[in-house]
Amino acid sequence: MSNASKILLDIRHLSVAVGDVQSKTPLIRDVSLHVKARETLAIVGESGSGKTLSFLAALGIAPNNVKVTAGEVLFEGDDLTKLNPNELRARRGTAISMVFQDPLSALNPVFSIGTQIIEVLRAHLPMTHAQARARAIELLERVHIPDPHRRVDDYPHQFSGGMRQRALIAMAIALEPKVLIADEPTTALDVTVQAQVLELLSQLREETGMALVLITHDLGLVARHADRVAVFYAGSVVEQAGVQDLFHEPRHPYTVSLFRTIPRLDSPANTALTPIVGQPPNLAQLPEGCPFAPRCYLVKPDCGSAQVKLVDTTNKEHLSACHYWPEVHPES
Amino acid sequence: MTTSFEQQRLDRQARRKETLRRFTGHPSLMIGTVILLLLVAVALAAPWLAPYSPTRTSLVNTLQDASWTHPLGTDQFGRDVLSRLIHGTRVSLLVAFWVVTLSLVIGTIIGGIAGFLGGWIDRGINVVNDILMAFPGFLLALAIVATQGSSLESVIIAVSIAYTPRVTAVMRSVALTIRPRPFIEASRSIGMTSTRILFRHVIPNALPPVIVVATLSAASAILAEAGLSFLGLGVRPPIPTWGNIIADGQASITTNPLISISSGLCIAAMVIALNLIGDGLRDALDPQMRRQTAKIL
Amino acid sequence: MTHPAHTPLLELKNICKTFNDTTSWRGRSSKGVQAVANATLSLYPNETLGLVGETGSGKSTLGRIALRLIAPSSGTVMFEGQDITHLPARLMREKRQRMQMVFQDPYGSLDPRMSVDKLVSEPLSVHDVSYAERQEKMQAALRQVGLDPSLAHRYPHEFSGGQRQRIGIARAMVLDPTLLVLDEPVSALDVSIQAQVLNLLHEIQVRTQVSYLFIAHDLSVVRHISHRVAVMYLGRIVEIGTRDAIYTRPKHPYTVSLLSAVPIPDPDLERTRKRIPLIGEIGSANNTPNGCRFHPRCPRAREMAQQPSIAKQKIGSIEIPIICTTQDPALVGSEQEHACACHFPHQTF
Repeated sequence: MSNASKILLDIRHLSVAVGDVQSKTPLIRDVSLHVKARETLAIVGESGSGKTLSFLAALGIAPNNVKVTAGEVLFEGDDLTKLNPNELRARRGTAISMVFQDPLSALNPVFSIGTQIIEVLRAHLPMTHAQARARAIELLERVHIPDPHRRVDDYPHQFSGGMRQRALIAMAIALEPKVLIADEPTTALDVTVQAQVLELLSQLREETGMALVLITHDLGLVARHADRVAVFYAGSVVEQAGVQDLFHEPRHPYTVSLFRTIPRLDSPANTALTPIVGQPPNLAQLPEGCPFAPRCYLVKPDCGSAQVKLVDTTNKEHLSACHYWPEVHPES
Repeated sequence: MTTSFEQQRLDRQARRKETLRRFTGHPSLMIGTVILLLLVAVALAAPWLAPYSPTRTSLVNTLQDASWTHPLGTDQFGRDVLSRLIHGTRVSLLVAFWVVTLSLVIGTIIGGIAGFLGGWIDRGINVVNDILMAFPGFLLALAIVATQGSSLESVIIAVSIAYTPRVTAVMRSVALTIRPRPFIEASRSIGMTSTRILFRHVIPNALPPVIVVATLSAASAILAEAGLSFLGLGVRPPIPTWGNIIADGQASITTNPLISISSGLCIAAMVIALNLIGDGLRDALDPQMRRQTAKIL
Repeated sequence: MTHPAHTPLLELKNICKTFNDTTSWRGRSSKGVQAVANATLSLYPNETLGLVGETGSGKSTLGRIALRLIAPSSGTVMFEGQDITHLPARLMREKRQRMQMVFQDPYGSLDPRMSVDKLVSEPLSVHDVSYAERQEKMQAALRQVGLDPSLAHRYPHEFSGGQRQRIGIARAMVLDPTLLVLDEPVSALDVSIQAQVLNLLHEIQVRTQVSYLFIAHDLSVVRHISHRVAVMYLGRIVEIGTRDAIYTRPKHPYTVSLLSAVPIPDPDLERTRKRIPLIGEIGSANNTPNGCRFHPRCPRAREMAQQPSIAKQKIGSIEIPIICTTQDPALVGSEQEHACACHFPHQTF
């Protein structure tokens, strides 16, 4: 585990809402996370849980009518929520970078990969075209794209899915960010390619000392690559722990339910899947109290009215938003 | 506990309210509709609204200036211009109605067949359609009327033929985008014939943009009819249309410009109304509410 | 379970499919994309055959060929003992009542302008069922998938993704088919909903004895629901057998690699597992290699080339056994038990 590692990105009590002056619907409530140098923080959640939106809002690239309503996002001493758009733009890419889910739509189809990388470089650094091009080729090599001298002039459609994702990663690390946020980087890829891309990310993390935030819904990937994990549900963090603690001793009913609901290669054949009853929550119409209560197997009468907060469990590194966390234990 | 019937009624009510809101909440759509409704009201009430018969001539009262008895004056035959204007509304609305209807029906079916079935049927239809579209609409209508002789019927047919190809082209493009969608493949897998799929699945989903194009075509059609009538090739006198009123007003443009101006304004009002409706419909019919924010979360 | 004594419900024999195989008007011909090459498999009543593969494996194409939504370039499709490969459309329509499909996209596979009751009863009206019977069957189908028929007048966009997928299943089941081809039915759903739908599919099979051809790329999901599994790579079936045989004793190097790449939610296991990485990218169906289609990436081929007794050839800087580069291996073994298409099936690494 990282001992004296610096905290690079510190999100404190972040709340985000959508809407105009008359009606604001809260989307993210009181989210606190931090990530240290050289570590991988996995963000787990399903669609609509707010896992991606939290980071988009933190970086200032959320859709127009989505705004931060409370909290701070600290990076190297600055609060990103207080910066003006120009200052934020300067930080994006250089200090914090993001790789998105679908490489095909994230890349401009009418420009070559090289042109797009060069554009990123020259927008932030004083480089000539020739220098930027050389660096672009270097970057492609770094992400193990074969024959980079030729491929730098190819267009996105000439790359396979896995290579496109690597090209995106190359663009994201071009300015040597301290924090790289990868949003479902492998969902659109085949499983054999998935493994390669994630190995690449881990390797880059080792080499450069940057922090990696891995947003995913795949618990297997989390088991392999994460140091710490934060689980999102209905716009808040419901559990946060080191990866071993989370898998061996989950302390929130949602986490336990997730484990029980996914099929896994290492379970005995014909193990039944226990689905989570009900539907994923509608953020605009959350019930009072704990948002997971309607689907929780451990639900108690006061769950519908209790204030929900993350509390320490047996150790300070393991937090849970369930009041009854001592009763949560994984079934065999 | 609501029964199925009760639930259905509630849902239908809610849906109706929502649809109504989408339409009434759109300012240009509302303004355009109001103008159009006014024009329709005028057309329907014409016999009672107009102070004189539009064809009643009076050799004594020719080329009178605006006065209390003749608010817009009289033309060279002594006919009251205001009454003619009011009756002229009927022709314009008739043309608009028929052009929209004919271009919608013909354009949708032909464009749908071309886009959905593809192959050489598509190529054949495209060739013909492209040739028709290569001519400016007005010139095409002109050519058709020249061969058919001028009358209300031939004007309507000519203008419809001139402006249908646009609708066909739009329908074809939309059909092309609908064709690869999964629910079409699903329909094939249950054994539906192509014709049935075209009418039950493709056309209903393609209608919104097509309706918009047809509405906007109507505006061009009105202008075309006015142009034809102005040239004397449209509806035959003494039936008043806004186009031939402008023509009649040419002679007295210096003494009584009101004649031409007022009919010009009427045409403008109609065209503006149709354009506003067309634009407004495009917005109101569009939202299939792709919840983009959900994907981002 | 498999019943070798029965006749298979569905038989695909030597199916080949090439797309865009054209000769331009100037006389130049393009080879086209060979999506499926020589695929043979059988599906029995009341069983689930999982069809797994990655991009370009041809599994979706094969599934559609089974339903004759796509015509094969060559080969035979037999359904209920009858050859339907070239059956005319009229007769095919009658067969379609018993062979249906469930699609991947819960958002795109339902016509957004039709209410759910019309959507689910549409297959019935295509096959000329009376109105009263249609209503009855439609409501029964909705109940079967756990949806309340009184909400059937609503439109698809008013339902969640998981519910829409259930509607798609109801539509497929309303005609009481004996064969259901499911093309990635749960990949677009959230994990918490996937289990619901998988359990539902299992229930339906128990109740109606329908057979499933379950096409998916997620190996964990396929293992959960299948009795037998077929693995495809670049249009070929490279391994097929019982679920346990494939998952616990895989013989083909591609299957071995594939299984080793699937992440398991157990940090201790994951970090100590042996990975067998594949070299390079998945091949392109445009340009399939000679001999075994897998040889450019095959770790086993390189290992076997080290052995002195094997005739080898140098490709670039790598040595590959000649048999791998020249001969496309045939599927050897019983598909009910365990069959594999590899020149060196008994080596493990």
